[in-house]
Amino acid sequence: MLLDLDKIEKERTAVLDSGGRSLVYGDIIRLGDTIRAAVSGRSLMFILTENNAGGVAWVMASILSGNVPLILNAHTDPELLANLCGIYRPQYICRPCGVVSSAETGNGETVAETFGYRLESTGNGPCGLHPELSHLLPTSGSTGSPKLVRHKYDNIEASALNISTFFRLTEQDRPLMVLPLYYTMGLSMVFSHLKAGATILITDLSMTDAGFWKFLKEEQATSFTGVPFSYEILDKMRFTRMKLPSLTLLTQGGGKMPPELNMKFAEYCRDNGKRWVATYGQSEGTARMAWLPEEYAISKAGSIGIAVPNGRLSLRDADGNEITGSPATGEMCYSGRNVTMGYATTRADLALGDERNGFLPTGDIAYRDEDGFYYIKGRMGRFLKIFGNRIGLDECEQIVRAAVTCECACTGSDDRLVVWLTDTGQADAAADALVRAVRLPANVIETRIIESLPRNEAGKTLYSKLN
Amino acid sequence: MSNIEIYNGIFTEVFGVSADALGASFSKENNDQWDSVHQLSLVSLAEDRFDIMLDPEDILGFTSYEKGIEIIRNQGVEF
Repeated sequence: MLLDLDKIEKERTAVLDSGGRSLVYGDIIRLGDTIRAAVSGRSLMFILTENNAGGVAWVMASILSGNVPLILNAHTDPELLANLCGIYRPQYICRPCGVVSSAETGNGETVAETFGYRLESTGNGPCGLHPELSHLLPTSGSTGSPKLVRHKYDNIEASALNISTFFRLTEQDRPLMVLPLYYTMGLSMVFSHLKAGATILITDLSMTDAGFWKFLKEEQATSFTGVPFSYEILDKMRFTRMKLPSLTLLTQGGGKMPPELNMKFAEYCRDNGKRWVATYGQSEGTARMAWLPEEYAISKAGSIGIAVPNGRLSLRDADGNEITGSPATGEMCYSGRNVTMGYATTRADLALGDERNGFLPTGDIAYRDEDGFYYIKGRMGRFLKIFGNRIGLDECEQIVRAAVTCECACTGSDDRLVVWLTDTGQADAAADALVRAVRLPANVIETRIIESLPRNEAGKTLYSKLN
Repeated sequence: MSNIEIYNGIFTEVFGVSADALGASFSKENNDQWDSVHQLSLVSLAEDRFDIMLDPEDILGFTSYEKGIEIIRNQGVEF
């Protein structure tokens, strides 16, 4: 069975959530059987998750049952969700019982209901699914991008093995999970900790909610995984002055930490017998591809470290040739079993096989020092990482285009999304549409007015000329 | 600019709403955009604009338009 879940004692607690609900390992396996009996053959499902015990149960059990879930936020903007349903036509949709079905996604018959979620059939016909395809994640959770990452079963096994190896996870672990289930790093926490037989502490509470702190302390979490913004909150909450003896591992991913904040936590961990581990990953590599071992947290501060166990990092030049010497700078590439099969943009793509064969150009420009440690220097792709959320600029542009009648383009840096418009009068409409769809604070969205957009002869926007 | 105008300006910046949308009913409970990112943005801007420093309890307690005023008032800022 996937992750050898059937080898773990059935009555062991697998998940405990901040709402007081829990499940044991046997529950996940039994739910897998329930789902298999309720649906007609291997099917495409949307699972709209909240961060609770039921969410983990449904995500894991749907994969175990041989169905293919697209894992989404239960509070995805209805228009974006309807768009995804239109493109992929899932045969089933699973959502928390408290979330009402919208007309666009069908009001089908309920075929199973348990752990606070219900599974409905939509009436859509069977879908060609590649035999190795295990699950799907959106490339950008916040913009509900219709472009999906196709994962295979072996990615789950490999990612769980690599991550549980370098974090040295055991069944004694009680990781606190605030990252969403539909976010690759959150999902990889689930895979790696279940493989280890650990007990996942999952919460939907905001880190600025008193209940979050109560949960962390009462349940004696042993590790915390966050994005840079999570650590800004911990810092603001005077985390380093709290007495949290159980918490021995702090890990960070999802973008670069501000240097001072990184050093503050690295020193705090060194002085208090805790481990501080920076990681690097992408959904395309089933989350983590690099990690900075804790003994280098200070001497190599700012580095994403070295390849995860069983993986390999490399650099290549503009011509696509590998750069073997160090120090060097180039596009960082990763090879390993956790590299996903490719993307899907249509329903037919779900039948496609592995297009990457274990090799992933990351689209990130990295510097490798003389000791072989990697540092991210920049990005080749069209996306930003704001508060740890990957924001696809092309999707943002589509959202703006639907809200305005003038020309528009989106650019930005990792702390600011810039919208370029050719009409001052439409700035508010553009910003409003983005605030609603992308759920970012309005002050990180900046609108700038330009007479006309720079374009090449073919009419393509020249983003490099916008700044 | 009066303190209440400064305060309202912070909400406008963070939530992109106009001042007339603000009031007793503007809270975390009634606004599903209000997550930790928004809450910390409110707190950070309030600290900057009013030159104050909020405690962890105040940061956790800053869950509505009205509670925010109360918290800032406790720091000696008059509205």
